[in-house]
Amino acid sequence: MDLRYSEEDAAFRARARAWLQTHVPPSPRPPRGRAAADFDRAWQRKLYEHGWAGIAWPKEYGGRGLSALQQVIWYEELARAHAPHHINTTYVGLMHAGPTLIARGTDEQKAYHLPRILSGEALWCQGFSEPNAGSDLASLTTRGVVDATDVVVTGVKMWTTDAQHADFQELLVRTDPGSQRHHGLTWLICDMRSPGVEIRPITTMLLDEHVNTVFYNEVRIPRANVVGEIGDGWSTALATLSFERGTGFIGDQLELYERVQRAIGLAKQVRLEDGRLAIDHDDIAERLASLKADTMAIRAMTLASIAEADRTGVPGPKSSLMKLMVTSTHKALSELVGDILGWEFLEFDGDRASHPWTWDFLWSWVFTIAGGTSEIQREITADRLLGLPRAR
Amino acid sequence: MFLAPDGSEIEIADTAARFLSRAIPLDRLHGRGASPALSADLRADFAAMGWFGLVLPEADGGSGLSAVEYALFYREVGRHCGPVDILAQGLAAMVSDDGRLRGALLAGEQWVALAVEDGPGLRLLGSHDAALALHVERDAARLLDVSVVETAARPSLDPATGMRAIVCGTPRTVAVSSDGDVWNLGQLGVAAMQVGVAESALALIVEYAKVRETFGRKIGTYQAVRHACADMALRGEAARCQLWSAAAALKECRSDAHVHLDAAKHLANRAAVVNADVDIQLHGGIGVTEEHHAHLLLKHGLLLARLFGSKRTLLARLLHAELEV
Repeated sequence: MDLRYSEEDAAFRARARAWLQTHVPPSPRPPRGRAAADFDRAWQRKLYEHGWAGIAWPKEYGGRGLSALQQVIWYEELARAHAPHHINTTYVGLMHAGPTLIARGTDEQKAYHLPRILSGEALWCQGFSEPNAGSDLASLTTRGVVDATDVVVTGVKMWTTDAQHADFQELLVRTDPGSQRHHGLTWLICDMRSPGVEIRPITTMLLDEHVNTVFYNEVRIPRANVVGEIGDGWSTALATLSFERGTGFIGDQLELYERVQRAIGLAKQVRLEDGRLAIDHDDIAERLASLKADTMAIRAMTLASIAEADRTGVPGPKSSLMKLMVTSTHKALSELVGDILGWEFLEFDGDRASHPWTWDFLWSWVFTIAGGTSEIQREITADRLLGLPRAR
Repeated sequence: MFLAPDGSEIEIADTAARFLSRAIPLDRLHGRGASPALSADLRADFAAMGWFGLVLPEADGGSGLSAVEYALFYREVGRHCGPVDILAQGLAAMVSDDGRLRGALLAGEQWVALAVEDGPGLRLLGSHDAALALHVERDAARLLDVSVVETAARPSLDPATGMRAIVCGTPRTVAVSSDGDVWNLGQLGVAAMQVGVAESALALIVEYAKVRETFGRKIGTYQAVRHACADMALRGEAARCQLWSAAAALKECRSDAHVHLDAAKHLANRAAVVNADVDIQLHGGIGVTEEHHAHLLLKHGLLLARLFGSKRTLLARLLHAELEV
């Protein structure tokens, strides 16, 4: 057990830090819309050209072939440099679709898509959830009729983040009409410009439109776009999900730590109703300090999970604990700042830059629901980590 | 960088687990006649295994191991609600610069209690027969001769820990150390024991939830039970991983090791006490009986939570602490 970085890791960090110092975009990312997507593409293009894309992807697929630890170091340096966050419109391509294609794609699919994902040329979105299939993904009903050349898709997907900016979608449909649950599903690459695809934005409580409902009216998707086998989409989808919650939270950890420090600074300036500084209230001081300890634990959990995966060769069953920890810490910090800020906290017009704490507070529900609700994460933990008997 | 037990560390932890489940099983603490004291024979067994001198240099009669093996050992001690005498004995050997006394401490021939401040005086935790007591502060540790003072036994909530108050006289100082590592290792050891308490609580309820039935179903199928267990697992995981950070930081003499230690102790306190609480509740009626282990974990966790930094002092320090980056 040790916390020392090897010379190689230290050199990698130094290179990353030096490069970021001179290459982080001078202007902030636009808050939303096409401008945000274009910003993400341009930043990913720059990373790709300078050899910082796909750090832990295998070399044969255009990645750097480096370790999970170096991937973590990269995220840490991104956060430290206040560089664009890696969870942006390129996220689904880089974190879901790309790794799934590497695991299950045909040579043609890999050759076409992987370089476009790495370079930011193609943005991807996810097409798993439906109006009646969220946490219970296996109850999805979007239909795919297989004919000689195509899979013809009809149905509705929901909560699709950034669908309006995406070029492709990882689309999970039911191709066996009589099938139940996780049988009879197929994982498809859907070109978002296909005829019959209609995207309708959903306005959220953050007053933004980052998620969408996507309607499919007899959309023809070539059979060459099937990833894995027809009818075996569940196993392909699981391959995708297993990439989702590994080390990717380390950037959030550093940000959370910095945010706790900023909240402490805030508490030293803001006076509460009784005229005393917020920091001089024991309850507020204790909650701030406790959250600082929690953010330290998140970093330790990330490093421990990498070490365990190194030894066993597979990602552990603890990614659900990681998501619970990160999202609950995020939410508790937002609530605490609400207690400190008072009336100012109740001002909001949807602009993240001018109301960052309120925006974060509202985002905390997206965080605890998206990618598997906290309740489902507890179920997964009970099943897989604790081995409790199942009722589902 | 490898933040998990590895290689010989795992072997030492496994050896400790086997030894302790024979030497100090939780069963020892049940019944009105149960004694918190370690018998002379048991002390000799601990000494023979070298557990009192884990981190002491080999030249001083110790095993010369690091804070990491130390933390792994005390985590196992915590699972069995091991008495704080074990910790006091090992720390005292670090304080004593008298070779003969150190030898007697490592051999388990001289017994040491842990002295803690209680108002203007001291309270002694551990075996009633201990003639020595160790009082540890952040920057100094004093080994005291308590055979010269009059003490009165106090009824201890925690069956694993004897308790005495000094009622008359002043202990004589036998040895003093201004090495901050005595505090650091004490804090690490107690944090590790709390992680062990938290893990034992989770293990008890998970085992029970797999067999106990109500309304015709195993209670482990109810989300009210499953989700509470998942939260226990999360508290334990956060505390355990931060314990690894603290142990490695101390081993590597990092300048922010004390911040990692404070965070580890705070997270471990919370994991131990809350997990022990939830463990009793989820067991239902059997959870409040004397014959069940559940209350032992709660009572021991509450006692350990006051040692080497209680919640208030830990959080006050963490609020202003800076991490090395």
